Amino acid sequence: MNSVLAPEIEQHGFNFSNCRRNEKLIHDGFKPPKATKTGTTIVGIIYKHGVILGADTRATSGNIVSDKNCEKIHFLAKNMYCCGAGTAADTEMTTKMIASQLELHRLNTNRVVPVPCASTLLKQYLFRYQGHVSAALVLGGVDNQGPHIYCIYPHGSTDKLPYATMGSGSLAAMSVFESRWKPDMEEEEGKKLVRDAIAAGIFNDLGSGSNVDLCIIRKDSTQYLRNYELANEKGVRNLDYTYKRGTTGVLSVKKIAFDVVEESTSGIEKMDTN
Amino acid sequence: MALNDILKHMPSVGDMLSDYKSTEEMDFINLSQNKVLSAPPYSNPVENLAKLHENNDNIKINFDHGTTTLGFIYQGGVVLAVDSRATGGQYIGSQSVRKVVEINDLLLGTLAGGAADCTYWYRVLTSECRLYELRNKKKISLAAATKIMNNIIYSYKNSGLSMGMILAGGDMNQVSLYYLDSDGTRTMGKVFSVGSGSIFAYGVLDSGYKWELTDEQAYELGRRSIYHATHRDAYSGGTVRVYHVKKDGWNLISEEDCLDLHRRYEAEKKK
Amino acid sequence: MSIMAYNGGCVVAMKGKECVAIATDLRFGLQAQTIDTNFEKVFPVNKHMYLGLAGLQTDIITVYKRLMFRKNLYEIRENRVMQPERFAAMLSSFLYEHRFGPYFIEPVIAGLDPKTFKPFICNMDLIGCANMPDDFVVAGTCEEQLFGMCETLWRENMEPDDLFETISQAMLNAFDRDAISGWGAKVYIIEKDKVTIRKLKTRMD
Repeated sequence: MNSVLAPEIEQHGFNFSNCRRNEKLIHDGFKPPKATKTGTTIVGIIYKHGVILGADTRATSGNIVSDKNCEKIHFLAKNMYCCGAGTAADTEMTTKMIASQLELHRLNTNRVVPVPCASTLLKQYLFRYQGHVSAALVLGGVDNQGPHIYCIYPHGSTDKLPYATMGSGSLAAMSVFESRWKPDMEEEEGKKLVRDAIAAGIFNDLGSGSNVDLCIIRKDSTQYLRNYELANEKGVRNLDYTYKRGTTGVLSVKKIAFDVVEESTSGIEKMDTN
Repeated sequence: MALNDILKHMPSVGDMLSDYKSTEEMDFINLSQNKVLSAPPYSNPVENLAKLHENNDNIKINFDHGTTTLGFIYQGGVVLAVDSRATGGQYIGSQSVRKVVEINDLLLGTLAGGAADCTYWYRVLTSECRLYELRNKKKISLAAATKIMNNIIYSYKNSGLSMGMILAGGDMNQVSLYYLDSDGTRTMGKVFSVGSGSIFAYGVLDSGYKWELTDEQAYELGRRSIYHATHRDAYSGGTVRVYHVKKDGWNLISEEDCLDLHRRYEAEKKK
Repeated sequence: MSIMAYNGGCVVAMKGKECVAIATDLRFGLQAQTIDTNFEKVFPVNKHMYLGLAGLQTDIITVYKRLMFRKNLYEIRENRVMQPERFAAMLSSFLYEHRFGPYFIEPVIAGLDPKTFKPFICNMDLIGCANMPDDFVVAGTCEEQLFGMCETLWRENMEPDDLFETISQAMLNAFDRDAISGWGAKVYIIEKDKVTIRKLKTRMD
């Protein structure tokens, strides 16, 4: 199948073909651009029936807020979610890849994947890249052994804790946990605590902002509360700044018309994964 | 952040103030003596200022830069033409800067390089010219004015000033044109263009320039040269101002938006 | 100077009511010098989808060509038109593949779903972190100005004609404060039954 005319798509994994050129450009004094980071406050606690994860929703590149409502709680498995801080693309891609490995593992072993298994996969992957994949994660889940919270650092070290915070807002959030966390909290109390910890990050750390996301993982159910609280709603404009039609000067217009043959309103059919 | 970076490079407080009696004297010295700028607060400023700029990306001294200015002599006098854009890095700070300084009824100067440097020293020059008039009961010649300016600039050579000026005006009953810059150059000539867009302006100017131009042709040549420079150079733009200098005084000939000029010249091309 | 600002230029995309818009300036420069005033940074992907690329020109062209290769192969294999979401995912993994030696571009995607005609916009950073908001996305050297313009001008459910006016004015006023963007602009309004491409009258300095 591989020929000059129709070459196979390249192998998976990282491609280093631009590295030399980019190195030279930096050497010549051109500044490398900044990737999107998540300044971030992410937290996780263990409570009576499982774990609660929380995150803010701000993504930044330099001093610009590039995304006001991004998702930082990533899916790993039905019983496991993972909050990510650091370079946004790294946390996104790393968790996606580990999620698929965990699913394969589940299908191979035919049992609930233990949370330490995900922690090990993540730390081994991150250690291999010596911190260059800059993902700082709070992994939370419930397996047959009970609830677990792990902190996973970009270089591959891990902590196993009853309550954890990470990201630039971790100090603000930790102050809330240190003063109020206690073992065997009720769910409502736990949600309130996590919400307060994230709010502390949102309002006190410049790298964190916008809304509160929560994710509650119990022994046999999971609840993802996207935008649990809109902490910073945009103000309503009092005046109308609309430009009248015809304001913009147009030099030329070109129209490409289509015949609409078919229009369907349904989404994509869900794959049967049971 | 920036303050820390600066402090890192500073010698001890003792060194800083050794040359001065008090900090006030140091900070406000140019109020009483406008030709004396307070030197950076460390010994041997000329040498140490350069060190401050070396390998230091954190200190941004990003003053307004980028300009196209030109001036030329022809049979009818001098034409000065300038754009009006001020940029700080790639950001356009203003589209309506007056880059021709009206020193007095007879003298005009253009400004290119550091906007703050140019405006400050033109202000000093203006007062020097007026003082000369009061002392000597006659108008200063362009040669004398440029010499004053040049002497001041030269005394600050290598201390970080950035200026490129074209001065025009009456001089011994004729009109002449001088070019001055912060390196200490002072030269008389017929055709000058200064600024980031000058190479583009020269292209048009040199191809159209001759001594025998009529007034209208000369204005149009200056205008067209600046327009084409604003088109090609990212750091020039806004409005094109054209001045005419004769030995008995100067006139503002036109102020035209580059957008209008573009439409006019495009229409001419299509004809 | 940043390598992203070597050639200059910007792209912006907005959602409207059953339509999307994407706009680009036309400058191609080498730092301060304007080389060309007819370099389009928005490319057609298929009937209802356009891809805008801001950043280093050499990478704009390379990425576009490589992407079209992958997309064409997908459409031939699957025998159906690629949806914007799939295209974004493909672009994202293409960019992340070059995580440690990135292409110096910031992509913007605007399109309608080929079946449902649902509006879609998306942008990414240079290593493929996707952002899919409900309102607008921006990229390029006058990104900050564009953010400001779009935040004030954008409204929900704009008709195609209002969307055109909004995106055009947002772009025009943004790049008039940027030295290395501008020199003409092109706006694409993508609707179910047609795409309208307008060239704008802009400052040329």
